[in-house]
Amino acid sequence: MIRTTSIKNGNFLERSALSALSFVKNATLYEEFAVNKGFLQSLEPRIKTIVFLFFLITAVCLKSAIFIALLYLLCLTLAFCSGVPIIFFLVRTWVFIPIFSLCIVIPSLFSFVSGGQAIASFHALGIKFIITRQGLDGAVLFVARIATSVSLVVLLSLTTRHGELLKVLRNFKVPQVFVLTVSMCYRYLYLFAVIIENIFIAIKSRVGIVSHHGKGQHIVAWNIANTYNKSTQLSEDVYKAMLSRGYSGEPRLLEKFHPQLKDWFCLIGSVIVSACLFYMELRK
Amino acid sequence: MNDRIFKLTDVQYSYLGKYPALRDINMTIRKGEQVALIGSNGTGKSTLLHILDGLIFPDRGEVIALGQTLNEDYLSDEKNAHLFRSKVGLVFQNADIQLFCPSVKEDIVFGPLQLGFNDKIIADRLAQVLEILEIGHLLERIPHQLSIGEKRKVAIASVLAIDPEIIIFDEPTAGLDPLTVRHIVDFIVKAKQKGKTIITATHDLHIVGEIADTVYLFGKDKRIIKQGPAEKILEDKILLQENNLIHIHGHSHTGFTHAHPHLPTEKHSN
Ligand SMILES: Nc1ncnc2c1ncn2[C@@H]1O[C@H](COP(=O)(O)OP(=O)(O)OP(=O)(O)O)[C@@H](O)[C@H]1O
Ligand SMILES: [Mg+2]
Repeated sequence: MIRTTSIKNGNFLERSALSALSFVKNATLYEEFAVNKGFLQSLEPRIKTIVFLFFLITAVCLKSAIFIALLYLLCLTLAFCSGVPIIFFLVRTWVFIPIFSLCIVIPSLFSFVSGGQAIASFHALGIKFIITRQGLDGAVLFVARIATSVSLVVLLSLTTRHGELLKVLRNFKVPQVFVLTVSMCYRYLYLFAVIIENIFIAIKSRVGIVSHHGKGQHIVAWNIANTYNKSTQLSEDVYKAMLSRGYSGEPRLLEKFHPQLKDWFCLIGSVIVSACLFYMELRK
Repeated sequence: MNDRIFKLTDVQYSYLGKYPALRDINMTIRKGEQVALIGSNGTGKSTLLHILDGLIFPDRGEVIALGQTLNEDYLSDEKNAHLFRSKVGLVFQNADIQLFCPSVKEDIVFGPLQLGFNDKIIADRLAQVLEILEIGHLLERIPHQLSIGEKRKVAIASVLAIDPEIIIFDEPTAGLDPLTVRHIVDFIVKAKQKGKTIITATHDLHIVGEIADTVYLFGKDKRIIKQGPAEKILEDKILLQENNLIHIHGHSHTGFTHAHPHLPTEKHSN
């Protein structure tokens, strides 16, 4: 049948619509790890955030890739103890890393950016490229830092419910406007996906399969305008729905935050870990 | 009078100042009254409900709610807003919009939490609404992943958890299966017995008789065409037909064909 073949070929419209959808659906699935019973999930959100902040600062300040790698291992262990599948976690984090690093790291490998002792060289396009030791060290350090920081942030957001994170932000005196904006975004992200899905289905049912490439893009362009209008409407509607049930700008949660002994131990533990890493680096 | 919950005088509203949605609306709703707003699509029912819930404010005219003029000034005072929101609850037409929390449970307790109820009351209310609407098994689910009927029930639960005196329903039965419709109608009838004031917008004429004593019929020009006791308005088949609420139904009985106006679910007697 024509229908199945053109789905298989996956034209522009279908591919972009489907990837947008799966991204958003994944984003809501995140909560599934946050409600699991695991080590990080059992920590008090404020203390957990401080612990992660510590690790983050440590990762950024350490100057040797080996110690940063240790921190990265710790992060993976924490993920494992919290019921986050390691493969899923690695994919999640390493998807982001190249975006950050490639544009900065690759140029710095070479002699014309960071001068120094040459360890390898090759010719391309009639230019001699020399990779320097200093360039390589810098690149490794940079990637280690980015990978660890990204992993820490992703792990925190994976194991904490959105509502809790927002409440933590409010606790740390992040302005209400900012918290409100973030929470609204989260709230209608999913509705957004549903709109795209519906538009997509509607087009399909009206014009049959949209197989012509140019036409597909034309419809997308029209849709972007349309979706923009819908999204403004949507944020208004969601806000009304929140208002109607008494929302006054302050996120409130059922579970109250009560740090326990275990939380304080973790906090102290994280300080000790950071201190040890810095100490070992100094001794080296 | 003391038992007057809403009084609207010459209310007019238009979206963005150019799409008229309501014209010259006058109505009075008393405590314990059951009101239905009927009218075809786009006649301004939802708009009026949003005005009654203090979410939008009329361009012209006056709304008095619970003895106070309902306007932006009044509701921007936190105390007033708190009082008003705990007394008036709205079940939105689109349950997708109403449910914005990551789990059904959080959605249900959202209202009570925002209104600062204490933990014990919140737990009680939660248990209560779960039982009334039979949605205990959905508690940990993600609201967006439910069926339309389930979403609608959760949306209703999220409003009932506040236990408002005045409950506003926007199309509570649209798109639901007959049994679920039955459930919701029964629920409204029960709430009526408890003395709640209930305002429902619907085009589902066959539930109107059960859920309302007073009916307001909205016309294409966004005005109230007629108001009165439910039986009176439901009787007037010609008026209803003119307003797209019933259709002429042609069908054949054994041997001959005829046509008559028809409520959507009326049984054919052949
Ligand atoms: N956000 C909006 N922007 C502009 N116009 C709007 C908006 N919402 C509603 N309208 C217009 O206002 C009028 C009344 O709409 P409303 O939603 O109140 O009708 P309704 O009676 O609830 O219809 P339905 O039975 O379809 O729910 C319609 O003509 C509609 O086009
Ligand atoms: Mg409506």
